[in-house]
Amino acid sequence: MLNFIAKRLLSGVITIWFIATATFFAMHAVPGDPLTQEKAMTPAVRAQLEARYGLDKPLFDQYRLFLGNMLKGDFGISFTQENRRVNDIIREHFPISAILGVAAVLIALVGGITAGSVAAYCRNRWPDRMVMIAVIAAISVPGFVIAGLAQLVIVAMNNAAGKTLLPVAGWGSVSQIWVPALVLGLGTMAYLSRIMRASMLEVLSADFNIAAKAKGVHGWRLFFHHQLRNAVLPVVTELGPTIAAITTGGFVVELIFAIPGLGRYFVQAVQQLDYTVIMGTTVFYGAFLVLVVVLVDISYGLIDPRIRLHRGRS
Amino acid sequence: MSLLNLESLQVSIGSVQAVRDVSLSLQPGECRALVGESGCGKSVTAMSLLGLMPNAAETAAQHWQFAGRDMAHLTERDWRKLRGNQIAMIFQNPMTALDPTQTIGAQIAEPLRIHKGLSRRDAKKRAIALLERLAIANPAQRAEQYPFEFSGGMLQRAMIAMAVVCEPELLIADEPTTALDVTVQAEVLCLLQEMRESSGTAMLFITHDLGVVAEIADSVSVMYAGQTVESGSLTQVFTTEAHPYTQALKRAVPSLENPRPLEAIAGTPPDLRKPPTGCGFAARCSQRMAVCEQAPPPMSVGDSHIARCWLWHEDHPRRWRDKDGFTNASVIGRSRR
Ligand SMILES: Nc1ncnc2c1ncn2[C@@H]1O[C@H](COP(=O)(O)OP(=O)(O)O)[C@@H](O)[C@H]1O
Ligand code: SF4
Ligand SMILES: [Mg+2]
Repeated sequence: MLNFIAKRLLSGVITIWFIATATFFAMHAVPGDPLTQEKAMTPAVRAQLEARYGLDKPLFDQYRLFLGNMLKGDFGISFTQENRRVNDIIREHFPISAILGVAAVLIALVGGITAGSVAAYCRNRWPDRMVMIAVIAAISVPGFVIAGLAQLVIVAMNNAAGKTLLPVAGWGSVSQIWVPALVLGLGTMAYLSRIMRASMLEVLSADFNIAAKAKGVHGWRLFFHHQLRNAVLPVVTELGPTIAAITTGGFVVELIFAIPGLGRYFVQAVQQLDYTVIMGTTVFYGAFLVLVVVLVDISYGLIDPRIRLHRGRS
Repeated sequence: MSLLNLESLQVSIGSVQAVRDVSLSLQPGECRALVGESGCGKSVTAMSLLGLMPNAAETAAQHWQFAGRDMAHLTERDWRKLRGNQIAMIFQNPMTALDPTQTIGAQIAEPLRIHKGLSRRDAKKRAIALLERLAIANPAQRAEQYPFEFSGGMLQRAMIAMAVVCEPELLIADEPTTALDVTVQAEVLCLLQEMRESSGTAMLFITHDLGVVAEIADSVSVMYAGQTVESGSLTQVFTTEAHPYTQALKRAVPSLENPRPLEAIAGTPPDLRKPPTGCGFAARCSQRMAVCEQAPPPMSVGDSHIARCWLWHEDHPRRWRDKDGFTNASVIGRSRR
């Protein structure tokens, strides 16, 4: 197991280096630089700023400098936010993104597993049909449209009630977490419920399910001990892509709902070509996702004894 | 009093009349073999005896009694208390019938937890003791393992343990050795027979292997196209087989004592979506008569020996003679009773 984790982490480090390098050169290939965003600037001032940020050095030297600092865990100072260190930006704003993301993943998982199970149990009857229609709708409508629609609905509701039932945007209260989290998790929830429905259908007709019934197992015990545990495996393998989808989806949802998460800073940084913030957040998100994939692999082993034990031996 | 008395069971699944007329009876402790070609409705009969047919299936019986209870109108609640407790099942394929995510020990202990209310620890202890009786080495360690760590023969022993752990009155074994290597079939069968005899459990043993039947069964029922076509004691059905289908089955099995050319049964079983109105075997029967256009009722051949064939009607000439051509008064006497 340790061997397995070590291997995965090593390949993760290589992945991150690759992401960092590709981003670095792609970013510099975009016309302009962080300073062109500023208003009229005398050549002297510009030269001074370039020297301060190291932009006057050859590109490859800048790359070496960046890699060296990155290894020390230092991503430098933001170009657009006076005197803010990129590390501080991440430290302050990532927890907000994390809360939103965890809430969205939980909503997607619980909702997807529940809806998929209900649909499978009621195969070809109306609850199944309703779930499948909702799934198609949620998958085919893009996240930013759903977010906009959700805000429209909230505004309409608040107007009709004559008071604020739900906040339209912002951050701080519980409903300012679950409303955007639901919007963020909806597409993934739909995707997961489709996977869950298929695997639950398979379990329901599996021999071991009939054999469990023949032992007298029934009700919730049958569901949790035998059906869910087996049917959830394909959903767990989707957990990595799920978290990736929700992480990137979070960039847009944070913008639309005015949530001060790291995603919003990442999008802003790209728009303003804030080199240090782009590199810092990209590497950070890359490392985060690599870690998530490894953790998901480990958790899969915890649920499926076949995988756990095979790894234990290797 | 008999443990199970089932008369004229009928099960249809959608348009398929999988079971058209099956009658079975078992005494406590008796082992009855249920034999027949695949697709003749043996498994559907077994699942019906556990009340486990899908909702889409329609089940009916003229008379259905188990352990003194009327089974035809049992609620699902009552069925749950029965399954795994009074009636248990051993499935054909142990590789797929055990839950891959649960330890063997937990799966064997589960019926005890549900039906006998045992604590996790006590149930686990009983499971381990049972594995030991089933000749599994290191039972305590083995109980903590998962199905994928067991061989086929060991899995089937675990399945036997799962079925007998609550000491049921009736054990249904649906081709329990068909999926196993030939080398372990005999061993598993032996253990099954041992477990059953030591607790006095009755067994319905489903198989298409006539060789096995001769070794373990007290009585035999032969099925064809959803009907029991012959039933009686082992000797009655095996040495004085009465139904042309049973006779054909026997000719299709090699025998060491008197080697003879094997004869496959010509033709195929009828389509159970449109079962024939007359005798189900008529299309393949070499002794077919005009009357066989009509469905034959079960007819008495001898003491508790029954065949569903017009040849055994009391007006048929053969009823007046035994095999050597002499009048067989005892048979006639009984059939005219
Ligand atoms: N769940 C089912 N749905 C539809 N038809 C079925 C189902 N189970 C069995 N059958 C049909 O019922 C008949 C008897 O099947 P089965 O009892 O499995 O035969 P056996 O066990 O004797 O080989 C077959 O024709 C089979 O196709
Ligand atoms: S009833 Fe007729 S067709 Fe059917 S088995 Fe007997 S002799 Fe053959
Ligand atoms: Mg079968």
